[in-house]
Amino acid sequence: MKIARSLFNGGLIAYTGLFFAFIYIPLVVIAVYSFNANPVNMMTWTGFTTEWYAQVLGFKTKVSESALYIESTGQLLQAVWNSLVIAASTTAIATVFGTAIAIALYRFEFVGQRFYRVVMFMPMLMPDIVLGIALLIFFVNSGIRLGLTTIIIGQCTFLISYVFIVVSARLAGMDRTLEHASADLGANEWMTFRRVVLPQLFPAIVGGALLAFIISMDDLVITYFIAGVDVTTLPMFIFSMLRRGIKPEINAIAVMMLSFSFVVASLGLYLRSRQK
Amino acid sequence: MSIASRRRLQLGLLLGPVSAFLAVFFLGPLAIMVVTSFLAPGLYGGVEWTFYPHNFGRILGFADPMFEEFDPIYIAIFLRSVEIAALTVLATLLVCYPAAFCIARLSERWKNFCLFLITLPFFTSLIVRLFVWVLILRQTGLVNEVLLSTGLIERPLDLIYTQGAIILGMTYVFIPFMFMPVYASVEKLDWTLVRASLDLGAGPVRTFLRIILPLTAPGIAGGAVIVFIPALGNFVVPAVLGGAKVMMFGNLIEQQFLAARNWPFGAALAMMVMSVMLIMMVAQVVLSGRRNAAAALAR
Amino acid sequence: MQNSIVRLVEASKAFTTPEGGSVTALDRIDLDVRRNEFLTLLGPSGCGKTTLLQAISGFVELDDGSILIDGEDMTDRPPYRRPVNTVFQNYALFPHMTVGENVAYSLEVAGVAKQERREKVANALKMVGLEGMEARRPRQLSGGQQQRVALARAIIARPKLLLLDEPLSALDKNLRQAMQIELKTLQNELGISFIFVTHDQQEALTMSDRVAVLSGGRIQQLDTPRAIYDHPVNTFVATFIGASNLFEGTLDGDRLMTADGMSIRHQPCDRKISTKATALIRPEQFFLAEDNAPFPTIDVDLDQIVFVGSTFELFGRTAEGRKVVAEVPANRRSLVGAIEQSRKARLAYDPSAVHLIGERRGA
Repeated sequence: MKIARSLFNGGLIAYTGLFFAFIYIPLVVIAVYSFNANPVNMMTWTGFTTEWYAQVLGFKTKVSESALYIESTGQLLQAVWNSLVIAASTTAIATVFGTAIAIALYRFEFVGQRFYRVVMFMPMLMPDIVLGIALLIFFVNSGIRLGLTTIIIGQCTFLISYVFIVVSARLAGMDRTLEHASADLGANEWMTFRRVVLPQLFPAIVGGALLAFIISMDDLVITYFIAGVDVTTLPMFIFSMLRRGIKPEINAIAVMMLSFSFVVASLGLYLRSRQK
Repeated sequence: MSIASRRRLQLGLLLGPVSAFLAVFFLGPLAIMVVTSFLAPGLYGGVEWTFYPHNFGRILGFADPMFEEFDPIYIAIFLRSVEIAALTVLATLLVCYPAAFCIARLSERWKNFCLFLITLPFFTSLIVRLFVWVLILRQTGLVNEVLLSTGLIERPLDLIYTQGAIILGMTYVFIPFMFMPVYASVEKLDWTLVRASLDLGAGPVRTFLRIILPLTAPGIAGGAVIVFIPALGNFVVPAVLGGAKVMMFGNLIEQQFLAARNWPFGAALAMMVMSVMLIMMVAQVVLSGRRNAAAALAR
Repeated sequence: MQNSIVRLVEASKAFTTPEGGSVTALDRIDLDVRRNEFLTLLGPSGCGKTTLLQAISGFVELDDGSILIDGEDMTDRPPYRRPVNTVFQNYALFPHMTVGENVAYSLEVAGVAKQERREKVANALKMVGLEGMEARRPRQLSGGQQQRVALARAIIARPKLLLLDEPLSALDKNLRQAMQIELKTLQNELGISFIFVTHDQQEALTMSDRVAVLSGGRIQQLDTPRAIYDHPVNTFVATFIGASNLFEGTLDGDRLMTADGMSIRHQPCDRKISTKATALIRPEQFFLAEDNAPFPTIDVDLDQIVFVGSTFELFGRTAEGRKVVAEVPANRRSLVGAIEQSRKARLAYDPSAVHLIGERRGA
């Protein structure tokens, strides 16, 4: 019986190891192969090189004789810049709005409370494409030109939900007796909010902002529909390259994006775990 | 100012701008989409403001042939999308459950570390993670390279642009979504119940089927909903891993909007996805409402 | 041997602590549980009583030693193959099943037919006083009711042995006392041995046929409640059960002489014990005697007199500074009144009531 039990436990742990391997090995693979010198067969290893990275970052390498490459790089940088601008703007707006709703629902009881909660959860459950085309129809019909602004507005509609969820989770776990103590000691509402609630809430707000930032940077579907013809974001760029033909630079871009996301996400998760 | 009116002011300040924003840019567009699905397509794209139920007819079969012709392919694609989404749910569940089971029984530190590792990929770009599978599965991809070079096969296998590739890709993408609710459920399981079952004579298998599974069912249901709906309406994964050969409903919608420019029809297609989503949401709320009330009373 | 339903031989179990050390939970325990007996495992937390229970039910695997149930070696058998059922401390009722389904669970597992199950469930519920409650859900029941369902569930398949892990600790006092009586009655009715774990000595004394006092993974004493109370085998048992006054010293004839010069008279005993011993006098064995009564006495200065209703508790100090507790009936008001004034008392005792505990007995 002892043997059966340890076999079972051992098997479970082995399985979990495989589970993580399944999740992470593909990522490791492309990280490794991003240094593959083979320009044609990206999965056949011919030698080590960093020139794809150099190419992406704008340095001239042996490969960059073709005008096509230079143009791609220019487009790529523009896409990155757009993504950053969009992410920064949406993060700012969504964080403010999401936090506002979270606080409102936490502190006040009012008619329509449940309605707000439902609305907050809708974007999570909806397939992106539905929201994407709804926004497309809306913008075109109202004559708003598709571009950076529409992307920012469109992304905010669902980013607010993400921020809301993070912040209200923190609020739900907050100790209300601290607020009572503060009031008991003579502080008015604003002061209690500023000195008691906000400091505790701050890490969650930052966490929500980080989450919004990452999701904004990665968003493809919704952005795809409401970007119009002039604007490209980084995910859109990669998506179109995937459809047209894969070049080794995409590998380098992908690895850089992964690393960036990992760092930011680790930071965010670390902050959240600290506040618990 | 009285307390009541001061509160109302605060509430107004907090909720006002957000509510306006969401009403105009979230609920509004959704409502417009619903309306659009009942409109007629204009000649050069755009819409004509007449009541036109024939979009749905074209999809569902009650079309008036003067306006639209019923094409069963839409239903076929829809059903295939349902099939793929369902298989994805099943695959993610089978993959995640044993891992959740194992991790829930580890020490606190290991638990947190594992959760961290699982949520991390969630924050990376979807398109990048799919790109990885393209590199692995395509004709000149990793799998084929390895198999060819070791002589196990002579010609490259057709791995990508198949339904299997899509399911694989979707499973890969949706694992964190299924894992979280399942894990939450497994972690909350009261292990004395398992002991009680064993004590009363039920072996491990029976205990799993009669006690563990039913009690973790809410988590499984939650995960299923969170995976099924986005999987059903997904268009990125089939676009990348299915190419032109395997189309899902999401690709269809994209096509109608961007290529064919038939917005009303595209909206009608989207409505189909929406209605599935609504049905599932209602079912989920009803079922979980009953279970939550039960659980709350039990504690 | 035939009379024992459970036998543990040299049962040992140690656990590793998170810091890396090792804690001995069971230290070579030998135990014979008789048929149709109500046995209580009593001891402070950490003494090993719960581990012992879990070893019998199969949830703890012994490092060494063996367990026999009704003559069969069950040491390596998993819990679901032992004819033993447990009533858990938190009841562990399956929340997703009705009361009826909970109770019927072990029968269902054994493949008993539906009709027969239904009858047996009705019987079992009747036995615990919950007739007709098959359709309820655990969450709708009070703590006491849930406990009875747990009981019914555990006895329905007539296991050879029933284990109860501090089942009454979550109940309030009145309910507790009522349940104690009910459990005892049930045990008599069923004729199955009950092994009951508690840290409440009062419970142990009232309910048990025999009590095993545990400490540090060993059984300190296994005996009837009266024997344990009147003749504890070492100072741990003496102090764990009931209040006590202990005097250590050397035996000299019919007296025990303490280091600080006190002398305690005792009944001449024919047991061979060491010259070093401890004398135990329970508080209720002291009495306030008239001056010329032919009993040995101890003089104390009183720190406190506490009125407890039917008795007075006297907390005093000898001239040597030793603390003594006495309990006298409250009907000798005149005597008590006198000492309340003087704050001094002369406590008398009958030497035959003095119990001697030899040194190093019952390690």
